[in-house]
Amino acid sequence: MKGLLEHMGIEPGRLHFSWISSAESTKFVDVVSQVTESVKALGPAQNFIKREPKVA
Amino acid sequence: MNAMTDKIRQIARRLLEEGKVDMVVGFRKGTVPMMSEPCFIKDSARVDALVWDGNCGINLANYLTRRKERMAVVAKGCDTRNIVTHIIENQIRREQVYIIGVPCQGMIDKRKVKNLADGEVLSVEEKDGKVVVTAGGGEKSFDRTALLQDNCAICHHKNPALSDELAGELVRENPDVDRYEDVRKVEAMGAAEKWKFFDELLSTCIRCYACRNACPLCYCPTCFVDESKPQWVGKGQDPTDTRTFHFLRAFHCAGRCTDCGSCERACPMGIPVRQFTKKLEKDAKELFGWEAGMTLDARPPLDTFRPDDPGAFIK
Amino acid sequence: MSEFQPKIVAFLCNWCSYGAADLAGVSRLQYPPNIRVVRIPCTGRLSPKFILSAFRRGADGVWASG
Repeated sequence: MKGLLEHMGIEPGRLHFSWISSAESTKFVDVVSQVTESVKALGPAQNFIKREPKVA
Repeated sequence: MNAMTDKIRQIARRLLEEGKVDMVVGFRKGTVPMMSEPCFIKDSARVDALVWDGNCGINLANYLTRRKERMAVVAKGCDTRNIVTHIIENQIRREQVYIIGVPCQGMIDKRKVKNLADGEVLSVEEKDGKVVVTAGGGEKSFDRTALLQDNCAICHHKNPALSDELAGELVRENPDVDRYEDVRKVEAMGAAEKWKFFDELLSTCIRCYACRNACPLCYCPTCFVDESKPQWVGKGQDPTDTRTFHFLRAFHCAGRCTDCGSCERACPMGIPVRQFTKKLEKDAKELFGWEAGMTLDARPPLDTFRPDDPGAFIK
Repeated sequence: MSEFQPKIVAFLCNWCSYGAADLAGVSRLQYPPNIRVVRIPCTGRLSPKFILSAFRRGADGVWASG
């Protein structure tokens, strides 16, 4: 999935996968921070957004 | 009339007369040049309609699902791989099909012929590696290799992967051809560049779903594009919708696509739709060492778990 | 406008990461407020369609966690 999305031009940092057990709250916090940082660094998404028609 | 056609007719006649199968799925000559069409033959008196030439690019595996009859099918390398995939996915039973395997020399790309001929193509003859095209502006002869479909030119599996009987001598495989040159070219691009590349690629898509209908893998009773509750993808020509469609279509073929080229052949706009599926085909090969439809004995990588599955993308 | 605050859709498995998120809350751990959590019964319930849907509706990032 990630491979093809990137192949099509979505930046690698936008989609993340992880595996966290329900006891690993600290890992959860770490990963949230990492994910947020990496998306923040990329800036707002420009591609793949369905724009609603201006005149409806 | 070529030897392959004779042999196919012979086998078909025998099977029907012996009552081994209820029908034979094969090709007959189309009403316009370069358009051999699928046909279903149930009566041994009619087997002479069957032909085999370089225009049989349609994947006949597509016609075998959801049927009750015992069928014989004329199948080239990629078709047999799709039949194997169907059997693995329980769409057909093995004992239901009798595969007449045809070692394939590659199919002729009708667009290439049309581009090279002057005027309307009136007839196309194949002989000893040459293709003679008669068009409004006169007769021309080309090398067959120059007119092959893109996917046939890089084919690694011309010979049937599974067959009950062969309709000709096995042909020499060509395992040294670089299959993924174009995929690597795209992989080397940056994100923005890739986005633009596919934008241009898809700009002419009219969302006719011919690629989906021609694809032997697309047998879902309701395709995701036709679902309306929830509606995953809009029906119009919005670039985002078009891209979503092509993305998901390719994704559904992950680890199953045999690169038979039906999608590209069916596309009325000449979009190289294989660019999507090919990337996944390459990934399946590199990550799992998997080539779809080569054997009945292994489960595909995406429906099995192995401890050594690549997991580098998971944090 | 201050710093860019991305919208991230997080698909969390009920039994794994959702539990972890719950535990993080109970333990009063601080984490960035940018994620919008969608609880799913299992990561196996996550279809590629969901991820595409999120992007199509303007998510800046998607995070799937089992």
